[in-house]
Amino acid sequence: MNIQKLKDEAKRAIGRKEVTHLIGYQKGSYGFRISPIFIETKEELDRLTFSPLCSLSLVNYLTIEGKPAQVQSEEEKKSKAKKVAIFVRGCDSRALNQIIAEKGLSRESLYIIGIPCKGVIDLKKIEAQFPNVVDPAEVVEENGKYIITINDQTHEVPKEELIADTCKVCQYPTPLTYNKLLGDKLEGNPANYDDIQKLEEKTPEEKWSFWQNQLDRCIRCYACKNSCPLCYCDGCILDKLTPQWVRRSVDTNENLMFHVTRAFHLAGRCVSCGECERVCPVGIPLMKLNRKMEKDVKELFDFEAGKDPEVKPLLNTFNIEDPDDFVL
Amino acid sequence: MSEFEPNIVAFLCNWCSYAGADLTGTTRTHYPPTVKVIRVMCTGRVNPLFVLQALRQGADGVLISGCHPGECHYLKGNFLARRRFLLMKNLLEYIGINPSRIRMSWVSASEGKKFADVITEVTEDIKKLGPLKSFKREIL
Amino acid sequence: MSKTRVGVYICHCGVNIKSTVDVTKLTEFASKLPHVSVAKDYIYLCSDPGQELIKNDINEFNLNRIVVAACSPRMHEPTFRKALRSAGINPYCLEIANIREHCSWVHEDIEKATKKAESILAATVAKASLLEPLEEKEVDVIPTALVLGGGIAGIQAALDIADTGFKVYLVEKDPSIGGHMMQLDKTFPTLDCSACILTPKMSDVGNHPNIELLTYSEITNVGGYVGNFKVTIKKKPRYIIEDKCNGCGNCISYCPIEMPDPFNLNLSKTKCLYIPFPQAVPACFVIDPDYCRYTLNRECKQCEPVCKELGAIDLKQKEQFIEVDVGTIIVATGFDTFDPTLKPELGYGLYPNVITGLEFERLSSASGPTTGDVMINGKKPKNVVFIHCVGSRDKTVGNEYCSRVCCMYTAKQAHLIKDKIPDAKVTVFYIDVRAFGKGFEEFYDRVKQEGIIYRRGNVAEVYKRGEKLVVKAEDTLLGQLVEVETDLVVLAVGMVPRADSNTVNNLLKLSQSSDKFLLEAHPKLRPVDTASDGIFLAGCCQGPKDIPDTVAQASAAASKACIPLSQGKVRTEAQVAQVNDLLCRGCGFCVEVCPYDAIELKPTVIAGETVDVASVNEVLCKGCGACVAACLSGAIQQKSFTDEQLLSMIASLGESYE
Repeated sequence: MNIQKLKDEAKRAIGRKEVTHLIGYQKGSYGFRISPIFIETKEELDRLTFSPLCSLSLVNYLTIEGKPAQVQSEEEKKSKAKKVAIFVRGCDSRALNQIIAEKGLSRESLYIIGIPCKGVIDLKKIEAQFPNVVDPAEVVEENGKYIITINDQTHEVPKEELIADTCKVCQYPTPLTYNKLLGDKLEGNPANYDDIQKLEEKTPEEKWSFWQNQLDRCIRCYACKNSCPLCYCDGCILDKLTPQWVRRSVDTNENLMFHVTRAFHLAGRCVSCGECERVCPVGIPLMKLNRKMEKDVKELFDFEAGKDPEVKPLLNTFNIEDPDDFVL
Repeated sequence: MSEFEPNIVAFLCNWCSYAGADLTGTTRTHYPPTVKVIRVMCTGRVNPLFVLQALRQGADGVLISGCHPGECHYLKGNFLARRRFLLMKNLLEYIGINPSRIRMSWVSASEGKKFADVITEVTEDIKKLGPLKSFKREIL
Repeated sequence: MSKTRVGVYICHCGVNIKSTVDVTKLTEFASKLPHVSVAKDYIYLCSDPGQELIKNDINEFNLNRIVVAACSPRMHEPTFRKALRSAGINPYCLEIANIREHCSWVHEDIEKATKKAESILAATVAKASLLEPLEEKEVDVIPTALVLGGGIAGIQAALDIADTGFKVYLVEKDPSIGGHMMQLDKTFPTLDCSACILTPKMSDVGNHPNIELLTYSEITNVGGYVGNFKVTIKKKPRYIIEDKCNGCGNCISYCPIEMPDPFNLNLSKTKCLYIPFPQAVPACFVIDPDYCRYTLNRECKQCEPVCKELGAIDLKQKEQFIEVDVGTIIVATGFDTFDPTLKPELGYGLYPNVITGLEFERLSSASGPTTGDVMINGKKPKNVVFIHCVGSRDKTVGNEYCSRVCCMYTAKQAHLIKDKIPDAKVTVFYIDVRAFGKGFEEFYDRVKQEGIIYRRGNVAEVYKRGEKLVVKAEDTLLGQLVEVETDLVVLAVGMVPRADSNTVNNLLKLSQSSDKFLLEAHPKLRPVDTASDGIFLAGCCQGPKDIPDTVAQASAAASKACIPLSQGKVRTEAQVAQVNDLLCRGCGFCVEVCPYDAIELKPTVIAGETVDVASVNEVLCKGCGACVAACLSGAIQQKSFTDEQLLSMIASLGESYE
């Protein structure tokens, strides 16, 4: 990714009179960290960056402000047509499509700059190889390798070793919706759910012991929920006391309810950005749950989340011919 | 030791399956005393999360039963329920709950015999599996 | 809110419950449940003294929630609600534990049944203690009905409602009312002339002060609910001004364009400026825009000057949309005849002398293209074969049902052939003959006496041999293949739902049974109601039937439709959905799953910002709860079936076996 091109496009975007600000990435305060940046003036443009370290979804910062203000009439729509410019990767664009389908955002309020994405680095993997890096490090991708610069020293690591697992099976690296696309479109991977199928084939006892071991570790920090671009309800049912769907106590059973609820609420909505799994401090393979739902939704209902903002959300519709063979 | 009697929670829609279960009673057709009914107006009301909630709170199995496709009193509730339930069933199966514990059926108001058959079948299946101990939430 | 005080009442139902459930033990169990102030058992709670017991306790113990453990809530919920109301507490603070149909009647082991009854009761008490008082609303009813379809069903229904004294809009898609019955020659088994018995009713409709007839019209939108439907009707342009046309017909001879006559099923020609048939109501002409040279290409216009005096011809007429408010709706949209080209082996469409039963009616009718002479290629047929069950009782075309009229109309048509051509040889191929109605068997017997040959067998093929047609079939009584040479084959086509029925069904949100005809609310006890309050069914849209059955059903639907009209008020569902504005994320999932369009997103001010929030129309909501299960944030809840209430039952049932 040519950073100068990115900055030029960003400059054009904030130069537009309807664009109030731009959401992009900047280097974080230490090591391999990345943080979001909200740019309103040209002077700030220089801080913009994009690299394989940019794993967080900027879409979160659009919904974090709350519900989209209701625009009353076509005329008001025009006069009020303030836009936010945002950089999106393939998965982010699907998240936007899905949220627009759910009326959580309106397409008119967005100026989308698409970045075809070759995959992001799993922070846990790179920090394991290069522990305790304090100064901001840089990573670029070249010929299937990551060139990592730490304190002026460069290291080469095969991409395969550091790339996030979700990105290895990414089907939509190129944004599906955008006002401007930076760079050439990339070919996605064919759908591959071998890992899910392997787990499906185990006995109920094996599956349960697998998940018990995983869920037992959950400390209910809610990082998965907070990093998820599709988790944007104002009040989450999992936080409520009346009725209390899940207790606050951290034990396998409550954790199970928490994660199954999340997976179910994301069925037909998850866009496979994989951020929940990457931010999990105890390494629970959460995408194994989400991808299971993604696989089923595709196989059973021929549905993929976030492909088209005009399509009704999966569970709000039905087909008379939906599978029925499991019903007594 | 007495024989294991499964504890099954059934969500029945008011118009078809609940009425069907009433007919089972009216015709004095017997079935095992394992099932306890929660009446809802339509299967469309059944939040699939109820299924897991029931299992972890002590049920050994869950049944959702509604009108046959196309016969929903509210036109489409059973179609919506079918989709939602199938995904939840698959998800729970994937984390290790035996699918025999999570069932759905279409029982019309005239199918009293079928209701008894469904309960008998589900009960037998769950008896073979035994209690669902590992999933139960601790009682405070 | 004052402290929750639950009263639990356990019914013995004579011995019905008591013999299998230990009611004394159950009462003791109930008295220890949380929030329970008093628990009692009684022999018959539904009796007057039983209800008095509850009412007295409500006052004595200051109870505010009642649990009755007895028979199914589908039996006596209304009874006990009334008792609560008369004792001065909200009738929705009642919950029924079904320990009869779901317990004592289906189990034998007293210990196990009692234990199950305890579980049921504990869960019911858990829910009951969370119940909230609810309010039923009353809405005014617009004292007007709309009847959709102007066949015999719609005509009868409209007349009955109008005679009761209410205004009726009768909407018919064709230029005249009359429907299929108008096309028939004679009616079985009495051989009345169909038109002769129908036309007086048609003119009654035309002249009735309470009936507003909207022909050549279709409904395009239906909103609202029982008592207050808002229906949009599209009036297609006739190109003739209805109020001005006196039906003189002077214009016809000036129209140069001929087209196939739809009333005669395209068996003859008519002008494209036409009146469907002489007795049409309204007696008003119509111009078919698909044939008229002016509407097609702005040419011709020869008719317009002819009608200078009345000025009834208006070739520039546009379609009109009318909105009417009505209290109830009757659907009487009728049927289509089965399309026999779906059974290509019968040669329909290939050989002109293979015709349908309805086409035979036109040929046989004195008002038809041959003025009643059954003629094929200008000759009277000497051999005629009738084939039963074309498109009925036939899984290969997806119609498993019997069309109920074909056996008898075939018998009648066979009789008419014999009547008109006494030396004709008439053969009928049948599967069974179903002569179930009043006078049917006698008529069938008479027809057989007239020398008509009934052969039991399914026809395999119809093909041409020289000038003749050959019908090949297996005679299943003789067990041999037979070939019958014939001049005319009449297919007894069955009835199928209207080709455009989906449009109407979707507009009115009606469901279909597996045969694709409209579904009644209950097959036995509510045969003319639909699942939608205030919408009723009449005639063949609900399933095949003959004329007397149709008329009877139409009168039934009319009297049902008049009930809300004369009551003047309807009560709305109380257990409806409600939205917590603060939790609603405005996604509209609830709007999308609602079968009744009862929810809409409305701009609402939340914390200073105007945002979209779901809003429930409590009159439209029927309380199914589909929206609740669709909502991710739990913002929408169904009263009396909230997540909190149902989760309390789940928790109680789960723990009961610990």
